[in-house]
Formats: sequence, C-alpha cells, structure tokens
Amino acid sequence: MTEKKKAKLTPVLDYLKHEDPFAKGVAFCPGCGLELLLRFIPQVMGNDIVITGTPSCSAPVLLGQNNQSWHKLSYFGTLMTGAAANATGLARYYKKAGIDNTVVCFNGDGTAADIGFGNLSGAAERNEPFIYICYDNEGYMNTGVQKSGTTPYGATTTTTPFGAASKGKNLRRMNLALKMAMHKIPYAATATLSDLGDLAKKLLKAKEMKEKGFCFLHVFAPCPTGWGAAPDNTIEICRRAVKTNYFPLWEAENGKIRMTKTIKKPKPVKTYTELMKKFKFMDEEDHKILQDDVDYEYCILGGLSVLEAECQLPLPADE
Amino acid sequence: MNTKAKERSQIKVITGNAAAAIGAKLARPDVVAAYPITPQTEVIEQISSFHASGEMDCELITVEGENSAMNAVMAASLAGGRVFTASSSWGLVFMYDAILATAGARAPVVMVNVNRETPGIIAVSSGQQDMISTRDSGWIFLIAENCQEVLDLVLQAYRLAEDYDIQVPVMVHYDGFYLSYLSEVVDVPFQEDVDQFLSVLKDQPQRTTLKPGKKLGCGSHGILGGYLELRHKHVTAMERSKAKFDQIDKEYEEIFGRSYGGQIEKYKMDDADVVLVGSGSMCGTIKSVIDEKREQGIKIGLLKMRMYRPFPSEKMIAALKGKKAIGVVDRSLNFGFKGGPIYTELKSFESKLEGAKLVSFIDGIANTDITKENVGKMIDMTGDLANGKDVQEVTWVSYPEAQGGI
Repeated sequence: MTEKKKAKLTPVLDYLKHEDPFAKGVAFCPGCGLELLLRFIPQVMGNDIVITGTPSCSAPVLLGQNNQSWHKLSYFGTLMTGAAANATGLARYYKKAGIDNTVVCFNGDGTAADIGFGNLSGAAERNEPFIYICYDNEGYMNTGVQKSGTTPYGATTTTTPFGAASKGKNLRRMNLALKMAMHKIPYAATATLSDLGDLAKKLLKAKEMKEKGFCFLHVFAPCPTGWGAAPDNTIEICRRAVKTNYFPLWEAENGKIRMTKTIKKPKPVKTYTELMKKFKFMDEEDHKILQDDVDYEYCILGGLSVLEAECQLPLPADE
Repeated sequence: MNTKAKERSQIKVITGNAAAAIGAKLARPDVVAAYPITPQTEVIEQISSFHASGEMDCELITVEGENSAMNAVMAASLAGGRVFTASSSWGLVFMYDAILATAGARAPVVMVNVNRETPGIIAVSSGQQDMISTRDSGWIFLIAENCQEVLDLVLQAYRLAEDYDIQVPVMVHYDGFYLSYLSEVVDVPFQEDVDQFLSVLKDQPQRTTLKPGKKLGCGSHGILGGYLELRHKHVTAMERSKAKFDQIDKEYEEIFGRSYGGQIEKYKMDDADVVLVGSGSMCGTIKSVIDEKREQGIKIGLLKMRMYRPFPSEKMIAALKGKKAIGVVDRSLNFGFKGGPIYTELKSFESKLEGAKLVSFIDGIANTDITKENVGKMIDMTGDLANGKDVQEVTWVSYPEAQGGI
C-alpha cells in the first residue's frame, strides 16, 4: 500500500529538479493557490527564468516591498496595462543580444483577461518568444475581492455584492484560455493545482515550445480568502473544478486542442460551488444557468478538439 | 547655429520625420517598438523599410498600441538594450503610465514626439500641448527647430540618456505638420562618425541590467527610505543633465561641425533690449522677423529653448537678466493659469531678472500659423512694454476676440 502511494507521487516530485528560490516564510494567505504555483514554476523550469509580475497578490513576494523581493530569481515589476509588452521587450532584447532566456510573464486574471488583454493578444498575434502564465483566482483579490472578466456567474464580490436587487455577478465568465488558443499560438494550455504532474508537463512543454513563439498557460488557482473557502480545501476545490468540467484540462499546439484529462462522469457543478461562500446565494435556477454554461463551454471544447482528426465544415447557410 | 562645414558630409532633402528615422538608424538601436499616429507615422514607416532592407539590424516590434511600445522599450532598455520609439498626441498620452514607469526605473529610453494638439480627435493640428501634458513625468525634454536639428538631437539624446551619470529617458520634440512633413536640406552624418560620437558610452562604467540568472530585479515598490533616495537621485540627475547637454553639444561640434549652444540658443541677444523666448519651429520665423526689425534699428533678440525639462533656469536667467522686456511665446495652454506654460515657469524667476518685464503670447495652437505678421505684433507689443507702455499680460495673438478678455 505504501509502495503504491509512493509510486503515484513520484512522477510529480520527479519534476522538481531545481531549488525553491522563494523564502520559506512569505506573506501569502494560508491555503493560497498562487503561492503553490509560484514556488512550483521555478522548481520545474529552473531558477534562470526571468519572471515579470504586476501589482497584485503576487507583488509583495515576487516584486518586493521596500528594498528587495523574497526570492532569488531575476524579476521585473511591470504595470498591469503592459505586462505582455514588458515581457516582449525583455525577450526581444535577449534574442537580439544572443542571450539564452526563458521569460515568464506571470499575471493574475485581472491583468490577463481585463486591463492587459489587449497587449496579451498583441503579443500572441506577433508570436513573441516568451511564456505567459495567468493564475486565475477569478477576481481582483489583492484590492479586496472585486469582479473581473473571469469571475463566474453567481459569485459575490465586493463589486457584485448580494443585495435586494442582486445575487452576485449576473454575467458569464470569459473563456480566456480558449481565446488564446484561437490565436493559433505554438502552445496554449489549462492547468490546476490538483493535477501537478499535468501542470509540470505543461510548464516543460511551454519552455520547449517558446523556441517557436508565444506560449500561454491558464492556471486555475483558488483564493480561499476571497472565495470564502477553508484554507485546507484549496486542492479539493481544484479537483472538483476539474471533475465537474468547470475547469477542464487541455492543451493546444498551434490551435489544435487535445484533452489532457477527461472526466467520464462529470459531477454536477453544485458539488464544486458548495465549497465556497461566494456562491452561497445561488439557488437552483442560478445553478442551472451556471451548469448550462459549463456544459456549453465543454461542448465547444469538444467541437474544437475534433479539429485535429478531421475538418468539420460549418453547416450550410439557410438559403 | 555655428556651422563649421566639414568635407565629409552627405546633403539630403528630407522631412523631419525622415531625419528622426535616420537619426535612430545611425544610433544602431537593439529594439524599436512603435505604433502609427499622424503626424509621426512616416518615422516608423521609414524605420520599417530600413529594417526590411537589412540596413537596420534591430528587433522591430510592431505593437498593437502605443502603451505597449513604451512598455516594450522600457523593458528592453532595462535588460541592457539601446531602444527607440516615436509617438505623438494621443499616442503619447496612451503611453503615459509607462512613460512615468520608464522615468521611475531610470531606463535610458530615447524617443521622438511629433507635437500635436489634444483637445479631441478633431485636433489633427500642430501644438505642444502633448508635451505639456507629459512634462512632469521625469523625462528630459529637448525641442528641435528644424529637420537638421531633429536628426542631431536624436543622436545627442542617446549620449545624454545613456550617460552613466544621467540615466534618464529623453524625449525629442518637434512640431507636427510644420517639421514632420517639411522637406529641408539636412546634412546626414556618416555612420563611422556617429559610431565615434557614441563610442564614449561603451567606454564608461556600465549600468546594472536585468539578465537571466543574475538574481537581480527591478520594479520593487519602495515605501520607506528607498523611495526617497530614488526620487532624490532622479532629481539630481536631471540637474546634472543641463551641463552634460552643453558638453555634448560641444563634442558634437568637434565631430560634425554643428553647435547649437546646448540648453539654449541665443540669437542676436547680446545687445538686445527686447527678447522673445520661443521653442521649436516658430524660432525660424522669429529669426527672420528679428533680422527685418534689426534693419529698422530695433534691438531685438531671441532666446530659443532647446531643453525644456529640466528647465534651463540658470542659463535663462543669465541671458535674460537686465533686458527691458521679454515676450514668451507658448504653443500650448497652461490650464489654471492665464499665461502659457513657459511664460508661467519663467515668471517664477522674475525677481532674478533685474527688472525685466514679462508678457505672455499664445499662438500656433489649433491650426493657426505663427506668421511673420504675428511675430511682428509680438515684438511690437514687447517693445511697447519695454518703453513703459501698458501691455496686457496675456495675448492670444491669432484670436483677436480674446484680447483683454481673460
């Protein structure tokens, strides 16, 4: 039994080939998904990455307060508006100067999906040679839990609060990862913290594929503080996000989508939402709306993933 | 301008935009990022054609907006590259957050800004309002009078920005429409002469740069002592840049035979009682009117501002003190004040001007030309002030309806 468990764990630990460059005690909240991801990236990809980050939850640790950051990586603190353009400037200069580099542009969903989406999309269109990682905690958590473009339907935030005329966000979330894959960049993928082996493979794949151009990783990273979840439930939230198809795991090379994990019998999305207080005002009808959206997105993914096999022509237009 | 014609010269008839692009090419930047906007577009078209023909060996980033242009060159500069970008008007203000961050990071970025108005999308006209809107960003601002000076200032800007003792981004301004599209005779320097002029930058101590594996970062947000230290160092570097710019102007003359006087250019100032203070392309018109007025026996001179930030206070006070009257011509507005921006700033030194009286002229904005007739009016009014007559403080020269109205 013990041996079997060990055999299961080894593949993940085997990916941790480099030291953790972050200080042991840092200022993240207990159970922070971002912290696990941030420590994981350089342990898998190497400590010679140049990492950029914006004002965000990651900023105090990644970019430092006062005089220094809490890690040993080369880093650059960027503005949210131009994060991908900053990474572009770094990667292009290193290319011109013949310096081997892996530039990792590390941003939250506020930068990636909202204020910095224009230059993210521009960098993808120009196939810039760097890796963009979005840690998606579905809102502006550092400024105190406000709604972003990836905040899901039904979630309460401080700008979509519960009230007599509101039950939370009444708009669907945008599918950032799919939008990026549709740029037909060399590599795009989704990942989360319950499937670290899958995440590690995708980080290494991105490091390899960035030689061909732009790579985008969308990592689902829960925020227990902002979502009203127990700190020790972070991984379980990720697991259920995958098992309900709320956050499916896939990758796309040159726009061709391939699932990296398929769920044979997806659980209802309610088994995911019930772990967080941010969804507590959702009734059955709201859950149906969210479930329909999850099913719709999964259906699109299904349609796109057959592209690799054969081209499905659109149905003819009505005459 | 003191022109010492050199045997080695190649005369071309080119626009101000082409002069800027050729200046950038001669500086051999590593990374260029830019986005088109009238009247700057020709600059990046030219650079793109140099890049396409292989004449220019740089990474060219055709960004999706000006904000990304500034962000890309800021980062490339901090990584160690020589960089260039160009913009104007809305493009410049769309970069504004990154313009501030570039100054804060002391990234030695060089760019040209082709001055254009900013009251709305209708404002496809010349004016320095974009320069005024960004003047407090912590950049060094230089202003060119003609196409030759555009090219010369781009080269001098690299020497200033990348100087180890300065390390402050530099923006070279020239008037949109008047200089951007005007073809003039320009003496284009030879590449080897430019390489020699810029070689000083290789021989100096090298600045710290962001490289993979160096365990070094930038962009930390200091709150305590670090912040004050950075800001104070920035301000003192700006102050140092004044004398440095004068020195660079002299060294430029040694190689290329052209000197402009550094921070300010003085035109027929020595015996002048009455002085106009101006900047940019208007100075050519002012000089020719001064020549005519001098034939009539009027002792009038011009002080041309070549450096606007830092404000060349010491040089201006030395040149203007003891004059009878000074008319300051602004091609922009200073909202919240009646007079123009340069007038208002000079006014703060009035007590050091030994009795010289100041008057403000606003002209050349919103598609109006600063004509010879207008300049004549300004000289006459400033002359009246010198002769003790009562002259209103602020005059909108091309808008008679406003006379005495503010």
